[in-house]
Amino acid sequence: MTRCKPLLGTFVEIAIDDEMQVAVESAFSVIQSIQELMGFHNPHSELSQINRHAHIAAVEIHPWTAQLIKIAKEIYSASDGLFNCGIGHRLVAAGLLPRHINLSNHDLGGIEDIHFLAPDLIKSSRPVCLDLGGIAKGFAVDMAVRVLMSEGVTSGLVNAGGDLRAFGNTSRPIQLRNPHLPNELIEIGSLENGAIATSSLYFAKRDQQRSHLINPLANTPEDAHIEVSGSFSILAKECVYADALTKVLVLSNNHDHPCFNQFSAQAIRIAA
Amino acid sequence: MNWKPNPYALVGVAIASIPMIAQAKIYTSVEQALKILLPNKTLTKNPIIITDDLQEKMRAASSIRYPFKGERIWKAADGSWLVIDEVIGKHEMITYAVALSPSGIILGIEILEYVESYGYEVAEPDWRKQFVGKTVSDPIKLNQDIQNIGGATLSCKHITDGVKRVTTLYDLALKNANPKPLANK
Repeated sequence: MTRCKPLLGTFVEIAIDDEMQVAVESAFSVIQSIQELMGFHNPHSELSQINRHAHIAAVEIHPWTAQLIKIAKEIYSASDGLFNCGIGHRLVAAGLLPRHINLSNHDLGGIEDIHFLAPDLIKSSRPVCLDLGGIAKGFAVDMAVRVLMSEGVTSGLVNAGGDLRAFGNTSRPIQLRNPHLPNELIEIGSLENGAIATSSLYFAKRDQQRSHLINPLANTPEDAHIEVSGSFSILAKECVYADALTKVLVLSNNHDHPCFNQFSAQAIRIAA
Repeated sequence: MNWKPNPYALVGVAIASIPMIAQAKIYTSVEQALKILLPNKTLTKNPIIITDDLQEKMRAASSIRYPFKGERIWKAADGSWLVIDEVIGKHEMITYAVALSPSGIILGIEILEYVESYGYEVAEPDWRKQFVGKTVSDPIKLNQDIQNIGGATLSCKHITDGVKRVTTLYDLALKNANPKPLANK
């Protein structure tokens, strides 16, 4: 069975080889919980509370949010800052995210300014405008896979709008969109027990939107929005790493960036 | 992780293999969607005639221009509702179901069908007709197995707009609806 729900701003598909409706419901509801915790669009999410208060007072967070922030910090360090969730203000300024908080855009920090006071308690040394859009979809896919497996599903696939993970002993063909003509699919290979995520601007260009790919090291808004053609994918064991590392691939344009090795990841680029 | 690259897909250069076109995915039938969203409930079909005034209010609330059709509405004995609607964008046509509690709270949203193609095709009513009302078991030329498509995130904004028009429908028409189903026009 394959089911699909609109979640995380995209279409989330869950396909399993067994008829286990309850397991699929639990997997969708864990994704919904992650959306409620980590969504930028929701002014009451934990993420919005972090952005509003973490520089003033310690914020208590859900273990999943804590886990994701830890992974985000780990990838930030390994990529020498090429991956940084502290780019929300750029997307707000470009009209790609809603403006819930009035931030004075100078002296905003990044994920490096988030410090753990306890396993579920964080504080920020500077004001931050974090957006988890570059990593939370992959995290949600992993959590959904974990739920499906714990419910006894032996094999399946979770696809959150192009960031996907296959589990179980079934090899599944994977298609990527042709960045030049996104309606066309290219069968890029087959995947078993692994994840693939992709960054590209073909839909943004089609819909005449500004680039959502942000260089966190840029000093000005003009330099921050990265214009690329082509499609940038990362294969990894877990989808959270695949998702985040696509940003490192886009920004470094280095197929062999050292941090891919560190996370056992592999890059696939398709030229437009 | 076990990854086997397709030897025919040359990585890093333009692809020379024969492309497939992303076309249509059918996830669940109407009957399945009713069971998924309102399990163990007896549902009665409850079509509603959409007046021009209501149509205009729903359009204003959702910014969807394509008219809403009131035929696919069900009501449960406890007062919950299930509405099936379509959104037709420039690049896609999506059929989805929204379940609402008796007080209008969204209980769940399910995608029934997703048809993706070029704008000019989606805009053509004849082209659309071939997909309307198909079910998973129909032997149609669509891709029977749902493909595992990786790629840039596809926005579900049109569904968000669609859900807005369904909640507007609830506020203006369903909330105070006659408990007896209307006869088909």
